[in-house]
Amino acid sequence: MTDSVIVQLQAVEKIYQQGKIEVPALRGLDLEVRRGEFMALTGPSGSGKTTALNIIGGLDTPTRGKVVVDGRELATLSRGELSRMRRDKIGFVFQAYNLVPVLTAFENAEMVLRLQGVPTAERRQRVMKLLAEVGLEGMEHRKPAEMSGGQQQRVAIARAIAPGPVVTLADEPTANVDSATAEMLLSLMERLNRERDVTFIFSTHDPRVMARARRVIRMVDGKIESDERKE
Amino acid sequence: MSGPRLPTLAWRNIWRNRRRTLITLFSIAFGTLLATLMTGIGDSSYAEMIDHAARLGGGHVIVQHRGYVELPSLDKTVRAEPELLDAIRAEPEVRAVVPRVVGGVMLATSTNNVGAAVIGIDPGVEDRTTLGLVDSLAEGEMFASADDEGIILGKTLAENLDVTLGKKVVYTVTDKSGEITNGLARVSGILETGAVEIDAGMALLPIGALRGVLGYEPDEVTQLAVFVDDHRVSEGLANHLAEQLGDRLGEHGAVLPWFTASPDLAGFVTMKVTGTLIFEIIVTVLIAAGIFNTLFVSVMERMRELGILAAIGFSSRQLFGLVIWESLWLGLCGIVAGVLLTAWPYYYFSTTGFDTSVTMGNDGSAQVSGVTMSQVLYVELYPDHAAYIALAVVVATLAAGLYPAYKAGRVSPVEAIRIV
Repeated sequence: MTDSVIVQLQAVEKIYQQGKIEVPALRGLDLEVRRGEFMALTGPSGSGKTTALNIIGGLDTPTRGKVVVDGRELATLSRGELSRMRRDKIGFVFQAYNLVPVLTAFENAEMVLRLQGVPTAERRQRVMKLLAEVGLEGMEHRKPAEMSGGQQQRVAIARAIAPGPVVTLADEPTANVDSATAEMLLSLMERLNRERDVTFIFSTHDPRVMARARRVIRMVDGKIESDERKE
Repeated sequence: MSGPRLPTLAWRNIWRNRRRTLITLFSIAFGTLLATLMTGIGDSSYAEMIDHAARLGGGHVIVQHRGYVELPSLDKTVRAEPELLDAIRAEPEVRAVVPRVVGGVMLATSTNNVGAAVIGIDPGVEDRTTLGLVDSLAEGEMFASADDEGIILGKTLAENLDVTLGKKVVYTVTDKSGEITNGLARVSGILETGAVEIDAGMALLPIGALRGVLGYEPDEVTQLAVFVDDHRVSEGLANHLAEQLGDRLGEHGAVLPWFTASPDLAGFVTMKVTGTLIFEIIVTVLIAAGIFNTLFVSVMERMRELGILAAIGFSSRQLFGLVIWESLWLGLCGIVAGVLLTAWPYYYFSTTGFDTSVTMGNDGSAQVSGVTMSQVLYVELYPDHAAYIALAVVVATLAAGLYPAYKAGRVSPVEAIRIV
C-alpha cells in the first residue's frame, strides 16, 4: 500500500441554481485521498457528500475550486477525455446497483474492459477471476433479474474494480440490502481494499460502513466538520 | 464466453419491450407491403402501357425524321438501309427492328369517305411482339407479303365505310412530292380491339404497296420501330444509337425514346409515378414516425441507465452509436417482417392480379392516351425498386433514430442518476 495522493480537492464550491435561488452544496471543500484508503463521507442529508462524490468522479463540475484525480485536473479535460478518465481511473458502485438488465453478470462485469479494448482472452480471465473473488462463481450467465440484491451489488463491485481504477466511489452501497448482505458486501470491499489495494470512498449514512472505514469524514452544510483516521 | 459489443447490446435492448417492438415491426412490415404493392402495380401497369404503346406505334425507340413528332407528314422519311438495320440489331438490348410507314389516309368506298390513321407494315417481320393489333384480328387474315393487295380495317371503320371482307376500298394520300394520289385495296381483315379510337380510326396496309403509292424508295420509311424487353433501357439505347448512327441517319434523322415520341403517354406515366412516389414518401414518413416514437420512448425510459453507462465510461459517441444500432436493427427486422408479410400477397397479385372490371363498371378495356390497358392489374416489382424500398426503410429507421441517439449521446450522468 502506498500513500500517494490520488484525489485532491482544493477550495471546491458547488452552487446549484434552483430558479432564482442559489443553493450551495459544497462550501470550500479541501480534501486529499491517498491510494489504498478505505474512507467514508458521512453526514446528514444535504451535507454535500454525494455532490462531493459526483465531483470527484467527474460526473459533476464544481462551481469553483480545483479537482485533481490521478494527477490530472478534471476541469482541463474535454468531454471525451473525461469519459476515458471515468472509464480507466474511476470505479462507480451505486445504491441501486444499476446493472444493465439485458446483460449477464459476466457481461456487466466485463463491459468496461471491452470499452478499454482489453483482448478477449485477458478480459475473460480477469472477469472470471474477479467474479470468483466476489463470490459469484457459477453465476456468470445470470442476468440481474435472476440475482438477489446482494449478488447484483457484487456484480456492480466487480464491474467497478475490473478495469483497475485508482479510486472506487460507492454511493450508499449498502442502502438497498439487508444487514447480513450489507456486512458481507463490506467484508468483500474490505478484502478487495486489503488484497488488491483498491481505494474506496463511500458516501453513507450506514453506521456499519462508518464502523469499518479507516477514515471517516463528517460533512455538514457542504464543509468538513471532522476528519477522523483510525489505526 | 465473450461479452456483447454495441450491436449485440442494441439487439438485446430492442427486445426489452417485446410487444412495443413487435408493433413497430408490424407497422414497418405493413408499410413495406403497401409500398411494394403500389410500386409493383405501377411497375407492371406502366410497363404494360408503354409496351402496348410501343407495339401500337413506333416501338420503344423510334428512328424517324427529326420533324415528324411536331408535324407528322408522309414526306418526312428516313432510309432503312440494311447496314443501318444491322447496326441497330447488333445492340444487345434490341429485340426487334421493324420498318413502318405511318400517316393519315382518306378511305373511300362507293358509299362513304372516312379519314383514318394508317400503318404500313411488313408482315414478314411483324408479329404480336411488335404489333399488338395482330392479336385483334377478328376476321380475315394478315397480309401474305409486303406487296399484298389487302387492307385491314378497324371494325367500326369498316362499318362506317359499309364494307366487309373482300370489298374494295380506295385510299387517298399525299405523296412524297406533295401530290394527292391514291391506291386500291381489298378488305382482307377486320380489327376488333374494343378501343374506340382504334376500331373507328385505324387501318393497316402492306408497306410495299403503300410505298408504291407514296413514291417511296424500297427502303424508305417514316419510322424504324425498335423494340426492347425492358422499356427502362429506352432512353440509354436511344442516346447510344443516336451517337452510333449519327452519320448513317443523316442530318434529318433522329433517334427518340418512346416518351419523346409519345408525350401524352409519357405525361400520364410521369403523373402516376409521381403520385406513387408521394404515396411512398407518406408511407416512409409514417414508418419513420413509428420508429421514432418507439426509440424516443425507449431512450427516455432508459435515461438513468444511459447516464450510468456514461458514468462508467461510455463515450457520447458510443451511446449515440448504441441507439443508432437499435434503430438499424429495427429497420432490418422490419424489412424481414415486411418480406414475410408481403410474400404471399405479392405472389397472389403477381399471378392472379386485381380484376378492376367490376369497379370500373364496363367489360371492355381501359384506354390511356389511346393505349389499351388490361383491366387486370398485376404486381411486378423491378428488382432495383425492391432495393429502393428496402433502402428507404433502412434510411427512414436511421433518420428516425438520429434524435433519440443524440439525446442518448448528450445524457448528463449526474442528472440521469438522480432519476428514480
